[in-house]
Amino acid sequence: MLEPEAILDTSVLGELSRAVGGDRAFVVDLVETFLADGITQLAAIEGAFAAGDAAAIVAPAHTLKSSSATVGAMQLAGMARAVETAGRSGSLDGLGPAIDATSLRTAWIQAADALRGWIETGEGS
Amino acid sequence: MSGRALVVDDSVVNRRLLVRHLEGLGLSTLEAGNGREALDVVREQSGTIDLVLLDVEMPELDGYDTLAAMKGDDATKAIPVLMVSGVEEIDSVVRCLELGARDYLTKPIQPRIFEARVTATLAAKQLRDTIERQKRELSRFLSPQIASLVSSDDGEQLLAGHRRQITVAFCDLRGFTTFAEGADPEELLGVLGEYHRMIGEAIIEHGGTLEHFAGDGVMVFFNDPVPQDDHVERAVRMAVAMRERFAPLSDGWRKRGYELGFGVGVAVGYATLGRIGFEGRYDYGAIGNVVIMASRISGKAEADQILLSQRAHAMVEDLFDVEPVPELTLKGMSRPVPAVNVLAARPDPLSPG
Repeated sequence: MLEPEAILDTSVLGELSRAVGGDRAFVVDLVETFLADGITQLAAIEGAFAAGDAAAIVAPAHTLKSSSATVGAMQLAGMARAVETAGRSGSLDGLGPAIDATSLRTAWIQAADALRGWIETGEGS
Repeated sequence: MSGRALVVDDSVVNRRLLVRHLEGLGLSTLEAGNGREALDVVREQSGTIDLVLLDVEMPELDGYDTLAAMKGDDATKAIPVLMVSGVEEIDSVVRCLELGARDYLTKPIQPRIFEARVTATLAAKQLRDTIERQKRELSRFLSPQIASLVSSDDGEQLLAGHRRQITVAFCDLRGFTTFAEGADPEELLGVLGEYHRMIGEAIIEHGGTLEHFAGDGVMVFFNDPVPQDDHVERAVRMAVAMRERFAPLSDGWRKRGYELGFGVGVAVGYATLGRIGFEGRYDYGAIGNVVIMASRISGKAEADQILLSQRAHAMVEDLFDVEPVPELTLKGMSRPVPAVNVLAARPDPLSPG
């Protein structure tokens, strides 16, 4: 079993702010882009789960993995990576009960809440 | 820093971040969400893109295949590509570097590494663009073979001087001196311009190296700096093509009252080739008896004659119909020189009809 990863690694967001010269507004904007865009990948993944379509799950899972890692949503990124890997293998059976459409949706909601919390507290500014 | 970069990544979040870093360096940007879109953009705008940041894993067409397509297309292969990858994709990155990617960046982006690699890549691109531009400009003044020689790796060695068998063709106009004395300068330049354009096209078509223009006189040689097994044949075919194209030009001039004829002398032999001149003004030239011989034979050619030295004729006798001419008495040559006049190229026996 993979060791549980943080719902939100705020150090990633702090690093991101530093990398853009302390422009927190840009990072907030980037997080909001993630929240608006990630939901479309989540919906595509849920659709592919419902259809049992391993091939169709790869692209949205890959994009979600990559975007969520950029904003520090590590637990979601780890789950999306597992989904992507299973999709590439051609079967979703190997994922096991821990990762499915429901648990992924839960991880999304937790990550989104944590990110909104980060925006509101003004941490890293 | 200035320039235009294309950012290719399936994640809009990652694209926005890369765009932000690039804009921070003063670059303008374009975006594509997968390899297929990226190829459309680079093919449409290849001349205006200085850099591509390419994600490795993408839907539709991944980074590796996108890179392969770019490197396989003459219009896009010179655009430098920086791969952007996650740490777990390092094997793919190595394949991309082998395929011609310039460098790579790992996510998350480290600003100073990002800046250093982007700067180095753009500097290399700009240097390359400058060299290409100079080469293009140079080829307006020099023979294209010599222009590329000057900027090639083994150029210096060839420029330093070497000996090689070459065919030399000298062309000039009969009646030009009389014409030059009587004509307006504008008229003179007009006629020379038409003549040189025709001559220049024929030289390029036949792969000749133009050594110099001197008024109506033009010296072209073959088999150097680019080796040509069929150098005598090329020279004679060029002369025949020039003679054919000269006819309509001279008809036009005759109507304006100028009687001009075209004559060529061709000889083959060894010459020393390389840089001739002095610092600040060098030419690429040929020195040897063959040059003097071709020039003197050309001096004996009457209007519409293409005179070939005996040795040159021996090398192409199956290819051209010729007629004998009386032996030529040439200045500086102790004995008369045998020569023939080329009438026409023989039809290729292998071609049907």
